[in-house]
Amino acid sequence: MKLRILFLAALILFLLLLPFFGGKYLLYMAIHICLLSVFALGFNLLLGYTGLLSFGQAGFFAVGAYASAKILLVTPSLLLGTIVGTLAGGIAALILGFLCIRHTRIYFSMLTLSFGMMIYSLAWKWREVTGGDDGLVGIPRAPLQIPGILHLDMSSMGHYYYFVLVISIIAIFVLYRIVHSPLGLTLKGIRDSENRVAFAGISIRNYRLLAFTIAGFYAGLAGSFLPPLENTVTPPIAHWTHSAEPVMVTLLGGIHTFSGPIVGSVLFYLIKDIIVRYTQYWLIWFGSIVVLLVLVFRGGIVIFFTEKIWPWLIRK
Amino acid sequence: MYLWLLAAGLTLVFGVLGVLNFAHGSFFMLGAYAAFTFYEKLGINFFLSIFLSLVSVGIIGVIFERFFLRKIYDIDLPYQLILTFGFILIFDDLVKMIWGGVAMIPPMPSFLEGNFSILGRPYPFYNLFIIFAGLAVAIVLWLLLEKTWWGRMIRASASDREMASAIGINIPVLFTTVFIFAAMLAALGGALGTPVRVVAPGIGTAMIIQAFVITVIGGLGNLKGAFVGALIVGILTSYGILLFPIFELFIIFVVMVIVLLVKPEGLFGK
Amino acid sequence: MAKNISRRKFLKNAVIGGAAIGSGLGSYRITYGQAKKAAGPIKIGGQGAISGAHADYGWQMTAGSTMAIEEINSKGGVLGRKLEMKFMDEELKPATAVKNARYLVTDWGADVLFGVDSSGSAMALGPVLAELNRVHIFCHAATHRLTEELVAQRRIPQIFRISVPTYQDGILPALIMEDFPEIKRWAGIHEDYEYGYVAWNTFKETMKKVRPDVEFVSIAWAPFWTMDFSSHIAAVMAEKPDAIHTTKWAGEGVMLIRQALTMGVFDNIKAWWQCMGGSVDVLQGIAREVEADKFKGKLWASARYIHNYPVTPENRAFVEKFIKRWGRYPNYSAETSYSSIYVIKAAVEKAKSLETEKLIAAIEGMEIMTPAGKRYFRPEDHQAVYNVPGGRVIKSPDYPLPILGDLRVIPAKDYYRHPPFTPISATK
Repeated sequence: MKLRILFLAALILFLLLLPFFGGKYLLYMAIHICLLSVFALGFNLLLGYTGLLSFGQAGFFAVGAYASAKILLVTPSLLLGTIVGTLAGGIAALILGFLCIRHTRIYFSMLTLSFGMMIYSLAWKWREVTGGDDGLVGIPRAPLQIPGILHLDMSSMGHYYYFVLVISIIAIFVLYRIVHSPLGLTLKGIRDSENRVAFAGISIRNYRLLAFTIAGFYAGLAGSFLPPLENTVTPPIAHWTHSAEPVMVTLLGGIHTFSGPIVGSVLFYLIKDIIVRYTQYWLIWFGSIVVLLVLVFRGGIVIFFTEKIWPWLIRK
Repeated sequence: MYLWLLAAGLTLVFGVLGVLNFAHGSFFMLGAYAAFTFYEKLGINFFLSIFLSLVSVGIIGVIFERFFLRKIYDIDLPYQLILTFGFILIFDDLVKMIWGGVAMIPPMPSFLEGNFSILGRPYPFYNLFIIFAGLAVAIVLWLLLEKTWWGRMIRASASDREMASAIGINIPVLFTTVFIFAAMLAALGGALGTPVRVVAPGIGTAMIIQAFVITVIGGLGNLKGAFVGALIVGILTSYGILLFPIFELFIIFVVMVIVLLVKPEGLFGK
Repeated sequence: MAKNISRRKFLKNAVIGGAAIGSGLGSYRITYGQAKKAAGPIKIGGQGAISGAHADYGWQMTAGSTMAIEEINSKGGVLGRKLEMKFMDEELKPATAVKNARYLVTDWGADVLFGVDSSGSAMALGPVLAELNRVHIFCHAATHRLTEELVAQRRIPQIFRISVPTYQDGILPALIMEDFPEIKRWAGIHEDYEYGYVAWNTFKETMKKVRPDVEFVSIAWAPFWTMDFSSHIAAVMAEKPDAIHTTKWAGEGVMLIRQALTMGVFDNIKAWWQCMGGSVDVLQGIAREVEADKFKGKLWASARYIHNYPVTPENRAFVEKFIKRWGRYPNYSAETSYSSIYVIKAAVEKAKSLETEKLIAAIEGMEIMTPAGKRYFRPEDHQAVYNVPGGRVIKSPDYPLPILGDLRVIPAKDYYRHPPFTPISATK
């Protein structure tokens, strides 16, 4: 027990010290990993804890990204951009959620897919607002400021990394609390046996909607990390192939563990980045890994580790 | 009509095998590449090339079903989707390794060239040929399902797999045959398209979402619905572009959402 | 108790998560060592679309640049140092393009960058180049805003473009087709994004100036990756145009022309202008139809370079070597990336340094002989000025593939836009 707390502390310390020994590109990748972790954790609240497979999370991600980009273009305030982006993602999810949670299983997936693609086509076609195929460009990495209290410059990658890291850790912690609150237990109950929960007099729909909205907030937050990092937002981030990313990393890490999506995100970037360096045929390798994963490591790397490798190590 | 051929296989596989196959579009692409190779590179007769392409894709389908898909019949939907998504990536890159990235178009068979005029507008013979081919497939499918022993087995196992198994239907073999058949339908779509469309990596991925929309509109697992759905989506995409040029993609998904909300089992669902 | 268990479980998971992150980042540390800057090779980072439907354009880039690097290295390299290239997949996604550039510069240690197919990627990359501070020679991405907005207005001097800007596909055809007094009614079938809008708008604008009698009767917009053009063609033909101007390019362009053939369009019009139709992949796609003279000489095309122009020893040598090396004809992406490498060589030799500021100074105003002819990099917006003719697609006994014949050369310096730049309306 003590060992684990120690390890967690060491990990956080490691992440905090990263800018002192890591290069610029490593920090850039670390920011992307944080972003994808937050995105996938929110998604897993739906899949792992509520049993709903959403194929349209990229839509909420894009709503968050575009909203925060719009704010940053008008008022250069990082905090405001992040807050508005998060809220926009959550509110969009709340509104569309009313419709989506009417169904479960494949129909739910199809509904979320179509809403995601609608957002995609809006991003593509509504040139006046979204910039069409060129997207929004020239978004500043605004300073983090609270008038009279705080003013932090964000132009260096290291500073921005800290910002994303701290917000991500807070977000992860909040989600951890949510998952282990009565709410989380109810969601799991709904997943495992809808009827039993319904008999207990709980409105299943409201809970599903709540989970969907929270997932939307997380997608929006992850989306709002993007514009200050890349200085640009473009329609492909709303496409369904981008929705497949949280699905993939969550399955990679494991849907039934809290840390699954985080581990999955790390591995996802690691694998992709390494393959891309060695071959131009990276799709075939990546696809093969995905196939192998489903056929052999179903349940995810985390479970595989805790149930196979860890006991084996201990026995040794 | 290409969409109909693609969606027919997709919905058939879902109805019988219970798998939503993302990689179905890849069979469309492979069919196009195979037909292109036989017809253009080896100089084989147009119809024979199409036939050979169906056979080759059928063989790939067997391998795919036996070694991979079979293992995931009983697992959760997300894994099925991700596994088949993984195969999209693999097939796309394989095609690029073998044929390169250039978009290719073989010549049109000369007897199908030319056009005739409807209401003063020219209409190509080839499109007419495609429409007849699509209709022929629809009729053949209907006959197969309604009038043959195989069709009755399919319908039986689609409605109740355990019961079907109990009355002595060999489910694994049936599944394999259905899957091959569906893969061949997709390949037929791809092969028929080669003279007017383009053969390039990714042509299947571009169409699979539209095929999804069609199967949902028509009702998952419902062939008649898929036919009507294909007509609706086809008309919306080709004439929607002219009527609502801004939102043609949007409109398709609006239709899909409305169907899902009002009648999730599809326009022709029970 | 339940809470306790779950917390332990969380911590256990966290430990494993941490282990994964830790070991992951640890290995990053090893593989991601900062590139050493010594007298090693000069590192050139490239990117383009090498997967998906336009994968061939990225392939042409790697082929052209690889050939240039092999040539230069076999003659001893640049300033005694060899050239080394790494080419990455842009996937036509702006986010990937930015990530690649960051990786190439900050980790792999690229001294110079080149490539990029999509305009969206180029616009996203522009501001990042200022931060990375590396010269980037764009070989395909054509949006005029890259040079006009990012270089001329926002002063990002790291950007250079060796290929033509989008408006060439509007202005050049207008200046050539004005000489056909019998063509009075023009229609368009265009890409439903900026390229299509800019080409059609500049075409109309230029044409109105030189031929006030011309009418624009109909326009159809086809989104990226349209497969069936029959409704577009039918809608446009219903207005009985004399000629059609289209920006559908690559595989889509081939599909469009061939579908137009099956609908008998070429019996009813006097000319068809295919923007970028002079690219070899398009010429290859319609080779048989050209041979059978199905277009009746009515098919015109432009390009960003065509292998049968100019008739110079440089161009002949380039095309011959390319065919020998790769067994195919080079398209414009191959030429622009080949020439990019030579521009880099010339710049480094002139600057005697790899410092970005000195390289920029060396390329600004540079005149260099390339296979596509003499190129001049305008200092005001870093756009390379060179002549690309338009012409009729014909069969020549000297070439296995169709070529552009009946060439009309209009000097680029006469019609390229000049500062101060007025915005082009980039909407329908």
